Amino acid sequence: MRPSRPLLGVILVLLVLAQGCARQVAPADRTGAPVAAATSPDAFPLTIADDDGVSVTLDAPPQRIVTFAPSATEILFALGLGGRIVGVSGSYDDYPAAAKKIEQVGGAGDFGVDPNIEKVVSLRPDLLVTIEGGDQWKKRLRALGVPVFTINSTSFDDTLHDIQTVGRLTGTTGPANQLVAGMRADAQAIQAKVADEPAVSCFYEVYYPPLMTVGPNTFIADLLRMAGCDSVSAAAKTDYPQWSVDDLVRANPDVYLVSSESASSPAAVATRPGFDAIAAVTNGRVVPIDADLVSRPGPRIVDGLRVLSQALHPDLFG
Amino acid sequence: MIASRRYRRVLLALAVGLVVSFLVAVAVGAVWISPWATLRLLAWKLGLGSRPAGVPRSTEVILFQLRLPRVVLAAIVGAALAASGTVFQGLFRNPLADPAIIGVSSGAALGAIAVIVFAGSGVLGAFGVPLAAFVGALLTAFVVYRLARIGPAVHVATLLLAGIAVAAIISSLMSLLMSFSGQQIRDIYAWLLGGLSGQGWNQVGAVGALVAVAIAAAGLTSHELNLMALGEERAAQLGVEIDRLKRRSIAIGALLAACAVSVAGVIGFVGLMTPHLLRMVVGADHRRLLPAVLLGGPTLLILADLLARTVLAPQELPVGVVTALLGGPFFLFLLRREGRGARASA
Repeated sequence: MRPSRPLLGVILVLLVLAQGCARQVAPADRTGAPVAAATSPDAFPLTIADDDGVSVTLDAPPQRIVTFAPSATEILFALGLGGRIVGVSGSYDDYPAAAKKIEQVGGAGDFGVDPNIEKVVSLRPDLLVTIEGGDQWKKRLRALGVPVFTINSTSFDDTLHDIQTVGRLTGTTGPANQLVAGMRADAQAIQAKVADEPAVSCFYEVYYPPLMTVGPNTFIADLLRMAGCDSVSAAAKTDYPQWSVDDLVRANPDVYLVSSESASSPAAVATRPGFDAIAAVTNGRVVPIDADLVSRPGPRIVDGLRVLSQALHPDLFG
Repeated sequence: MIASRRYRRVLLALAVGLVVSFLVAVAVGAVWISPWATLRLLAWKLGLGSRPAGVPRSTEVILFQLRLPRVVLAAIVGAALAASGTVFQGLFRNPLADPAIIGVSSGAALGAIAVIVFAGSGVLGAFGVPLAAFVGALLTAFVVYRLARIGPAVHVATLLLAGIAVAAIISSLMSLLMSFSGQQIRDIYAWLLGGLSGQGWNQVGAVGALVAVAIAAAGLTSHELNLMALGEERAAQLGVEIDRLKRRSIAIGALLAACAVSVAGVIGFVGLMTPHLLRMVVGADHRRLLPAVLLGGPTLLILADLLARTVLAPQELPVGVVTALLGGPFFLFLLRREGRGARASA
């Protein structure tokens, strides 16, 4: 369903109107800002282009924010803005624990993965932060006066950049820079240890059966590379390919990482047909990985990097 | 006599095709194993000679624990689907009938999804979900059959309509469950995609035994199914106990399809296409058709699975995608050709 040219025109007009609305709403709520808006070079109004290529203009630091992605929720909490979140997507928004008490707006749409538009509007947000996808509901929300900002992290560095962007957007440039500097330093410390080691042949399991893994262009693959993993699926053509167990046995990786999404224990992995011929299985190097740490491009990716590095180089991280 | 010699030639050709495709499918895959190494390893396993030197253990594992059970399972599933299609097409006297018609596929999917959502995919080890799919398939077939039974008689038209209605209800129940699923959506998606990946000798043993029994039973109904082709009334006059035959054929067809769907997910077109295709070659006599189908069905699925795991190797595709993508157009081509032939001879 590609919108026609007149429809695009209407949406554009609505968009302009919507931004006008946002301008009117924001100042009224400005009083309760707990975060130091004065300490930083934050200047409003500001206009930032998001990762969907949409320019979002805010007249004042947003006070009522809806996050529609667990990673966005984590970023805002890490920036000290947890108290301003009035809505999250759903039960996946589980970190930090305080996020679980916030109203959930997800579960609508044909596949149950869209936000409920009415609920979002009823929360009177002055900003919604989300990830790529859902162009239709994004358009509808913008038309209804809710500024929608999309961040789409493709790598570790991109995530740091996105955190800084969210910082600018929410008037928390200072905390964002501080957070990112800390993350970068931690990552560099980890990488300094890993750098002298040869890459370890490894495989990251997303699901079984059928066996599914990650392609080279995914966020997880970037973390794996940084952690010193020579991934069996490095030449995959798609992001989450179904992988041949034949090839896995041939590649014979030294470390086998099992995402918590796969819900398989190391013991269960060892009982699968053919897996007992894999070095990682016979040497007891099947390591469960908390998927939240490596698949949510937010403040905890450094923990993800540390967990992966530990799994690959256990003697370096005692 | 001439026809019978021709029939034997057709069977021989089909058998050769099956053996060749089996050997190719065992030897070829994401990892290259030379035919020589394959033969020597097979000979060793069969007790003909010692373990070939210089062949790494990984090659042995790939061959015997991964590829061989997968190809054997593809053959069993292919045979089950094709035989099921044959029985249903005979019973309904309709070349478009396939196991989906009495709700087997949707019932299996509902069973699998219900277990995934309420108990998790890990329940009962690797057997919870296939078992639920199996039970769901048989239960649905039974419900459809009972709905279609009015008094002692089961009318074919009522059966088809009941099947469609039940499938529609089940499909909405599936959507309902999926909208509540959350985390498990990935398990559900993986099941719905189907495919023969990750199956070992355990599955081969369990399903193989059931399929063998059901196929033997199908063989015993061949003659009566032939008489059904004359119409129910005529068949009854010739001594066929129509209602018993219907009960039996539905049970056999549903059992076969349930076996297939419980280990491989929903695989389209093999059950529909194989009997249809071979009927053009060997005729409609079920005593001839069934053996041909039991050779052709496995070949078809073995080759489809071979494509599924080699086209993008080492990435894999769900085998159902291959059967539908290649089978669909091929089937349409045959239909068109057949239609033209019929018109020309009319």
